[in-house]
Amino acid sequence: MEKTNIYKKYFSSLVHHKVFTLFLLFIVMVGVFTIWSALRGSSFLRFAIFRNILNSLVVTSFLAIGAGFLLVGGNIDLSQAAVGAFGGIILAAAVGKWGLPWYAGIMAALALCGCLGAINALLITKFRIPFFIATLAMTLMAQGLMYLISSIGNNGIAANINFQDAALKYIGTGMIGPIPLGIIIMLLFFIVYGVILAKTGFGMKVKFIGGNAIAAGLAGINAAMITYILFVNSAVLSGVAGIFTAARLGQGSLMALQTNQFTGITAAVLGGISFGGGTGGMAGVFVGLLILNTFQIGMGAVGVNPFWVQVFTGALLLVALTADFVTQARSRKAQAA
Amino acid sequence: MLKTLEFRKIGKSYPGVRALDSVSFKAEGGKVLALVGENGAGKSTLLKIMSGDQKADEGEILLNGKPVDFPDPRAAIAAGVAVIYQDRQLIPNMSVMENIFPDNLPRTRLGLFDKNKLYTKAKEIINTFGLPIDPAEQVGRLNVAYQQMVEIMKAYARNADIIAFDEPTAPLTDAEIEILFDLILKLKAEGKVVIYVSHRLAEIFKIADDIVVLKDGRLVKLLKAGETSEAELIRAMVGRDIGDTYANLSRNESFGKVMLEVKNLTTQYLRGVSFRVREGEIVGLAGLVGSGRTEVARALFGVDAVTGGEIIVNGRPVVLKSPGDAIKHGIALCPEDRKEQGLVMGHSLRDNVIMPFIDRLCKKIFVNRSKTTAVVNDAVKKYAIKTPSIEKTVAELSGGNQQKVILGRWTSEMLKTKVLILDEPTKGIDVGTKREIYQTICDFAKQGIAVLFISSELPEVINLSDSIIVMNNGRVAGSLTRGEATEEKVLSLAMQEAS
Repeated sequence: MEKTNIYKKYFSSLVHHKVFTLFLLFIVMVGVFTIWSALRGSSFLRFAIFRNILNSLVVTSFLAIGAGFLLVGGNIDLSQAAVGAFGGIILAAAVGKWGLPWYAGIMAALALCGCLGAINALLITKFRIPFFIATLAMTLMAQGLMYLISSIGNNGIAANINFQDAALKYIGTGMIGPIPLGIIIMLLFFIVYGVILAKTGFGMKVKFIGGNAIAAGLAGINAAMITYILFVNSAVLSGVAGIFTAARLGQGSLMALQTNQFTGITAAVLGGISFGGGTGGMAGVFVGLLILNTFQIGMGAVGVNPFWVQVFTGALLLVALTADFVTQARSRKAQAA
Repeated sequence: MLKTLEFRKIGKSYPGVRALDSVSFKAEGGKVLALVGENGAGKSTLLKIMSGDQKADEGEILLNGKPVDFPDPRAAIAAGVAVIYQDRQLIPNMSVMENIFPDNLPRTRLGLFDKNKLYTKAKEIINTFGLPIDPAEQVGRLNVAYQQMVEIMKAYARNADIIAFDEPTAPLTDAEIEILFDLILKLKAEGKVVIYVSHRLAEIFKIADDIVVLKDGRLVKLLKAGETSEAELIRAMVGRDIGDTYANLSRNESFGKVMLEVKNLTTQYLRGVSFRVREGEIVGLAGLVGSGRTEVARALFGVDAVTGGEIIVNGRPVVLKSPGDAIKHGIALCPEDRKEQGLVMGHSLRDNVIMPFIDRLCKKIFVNRSKTTAVVNDAVKKYAIKTPSIEKTVAELSGGNQQKVILGRWTSEMLKTKVLILDEPTKGIDVGTKREIYQTICDFAKQGIAVLFISSELPEVINLSDSIIVMNNGRVAGSLTRGEATEEKVLSLAMQEAS
């Protein structure tokens, strides 16, 4: 009797949890692809495929963590992909052209990306420029700087920069047992950031300013400073994504992350962080990203035309957003009553 | 035919508040009818009902003798009723002429909109009123007064027979008020029904023919402007039975040293405000909306920049650059708008209580959950907050309980609050809970907290405060002790024309 009650209590709180719903969606998706591919005579439910899916998450996961934190705090950074690509070029130039050691290249890339994030934050908190405009402008500036740096010592022509470095190669493609190093680093980042958001005073403040910046400010929380930290963090994590991309390719590519401008935000929204800010967690972002990539890889595995896959991905995002708006409208109604 | 607008037994309730109770009167064409009453008397609700913004629960509106029903603002506009609100409803980056004719722009044969014809039509209307406005000018570039004129012309262009003004002179200078009054007299001469809501009694005697006095949602008096006096009008607005709500409060009788002293405080909105609050004293800040009460609170809480003067807390001059600074010096603020400024509505009761002192609840960087629970449960117990769990979102709590969450936050033992500023703490709260909150405020005083109590409800300020400071136009217009304060005295200080 007592036991079933406890069971009921935990179960119902689990069912009401967004992450649980998302995870169910993931399971259903895997089921559908398994049956679908079985009908086509191939198999989907394999270790290699899941390792591929996780491996495909690595680069975008850093974007998603940065975007997720920002979105919980009520802001959006559109410049992530451009800043990340810029960071990749810095690393490649440092190692490939200027002969710096790998760790110095990484430090330089992250520091410069952080500076760009600080500029974003300055524009938004000090000059009150809407994040949309500030980070859009930063996208253009970061791209320009990237071309500029890649053209130095190359007769003024922008080009990809190749480099050879054992340490970077290991970071990009190394394995620990059967598991790629990238996946382990990604999971570590998710855990650390997840704990920061869920358990620390800083994480709570992020949620407060996202939920109601005015009320948080009037309770003595320094919203400007937190927004600053979040934008710098988003830019530095974008830099990490750029570094991974470069390390994997052995090349600082001008096209790096080009298709990922909205991936971080998409994953964060799919993962249950509401556009209104204030709620959500890193577990949701992880599952959101997992769904996104499983969907794309699964569709590819069963032979759907990749152009259609992109259309369906858009539709998936639309469904997630609609669900978010419906629940928000409902809670607004509850507040008004 | 004589144009008329008649209200018959109009009633309207909001949760916990009876906003209008069986209000009946008739406004006639060719006359200006003034609607007066204290804050919360029901004037705005009445305007909202006649503009179709809200629906009355009871009663009916008769336009020229025929019952009408306005399900939305569009229906009211179509019937010829225009309400001109304080916040102008114009499109600032469009021209004057486009704002005057927003929904029936003249067109050419090709269906494109005819700028020349529009210009001529707008010019005609502007000339009717004899105003020096260029129809092609961008509305946003006009000064506030002319923007208001454009709004009036917009109503006129729609052939509105009923035109109501909500505090139209609040943002205007004396010269501009003259222009507005000329315009109103023109509307009156054309036989239109003019309804005029204002706090400024002198104006009412200047422009109005009939006066309707509302109080607590009821019509208490119908007066003719020519047959009454300011004194009679104020008596009608005020005279109410206060009952024993205040008599039974257990008050603090002994005051300590001066805890908060403000000397010549000047900000963008305030001009040389000075006063003192002692330990255990409740000082009321009275005054009309926009008189500078909230601005005092904002300056004391580090929100608005202080440009001159001194703030002295517990004998030491302090510089407050942010709410964080203010909190460090023991100042707390319950803001005017609970939902927008006080609470994070989608978050739990727990989160909302601990907001200002999360850092003090952290072990290293992690929030200490069990300590948090203890602190929050304390507040729930102390204020008898009705909630099934501290994890409930505050959006699900009643207004009174939400206010208690904010009070619980600032008086938690985690903060050493010495000065508590309460801005409209009983706004939108039902009578029973109001009583509880009054006692709570008295209890703060008993604990030695210096309380600054801001309220638009005069009986509240007068009966709860040990002394009352009346604000007017960003200055202190006067101060009164509880013994000498009457609503008449406070009102006349609050309403006296700025010199």
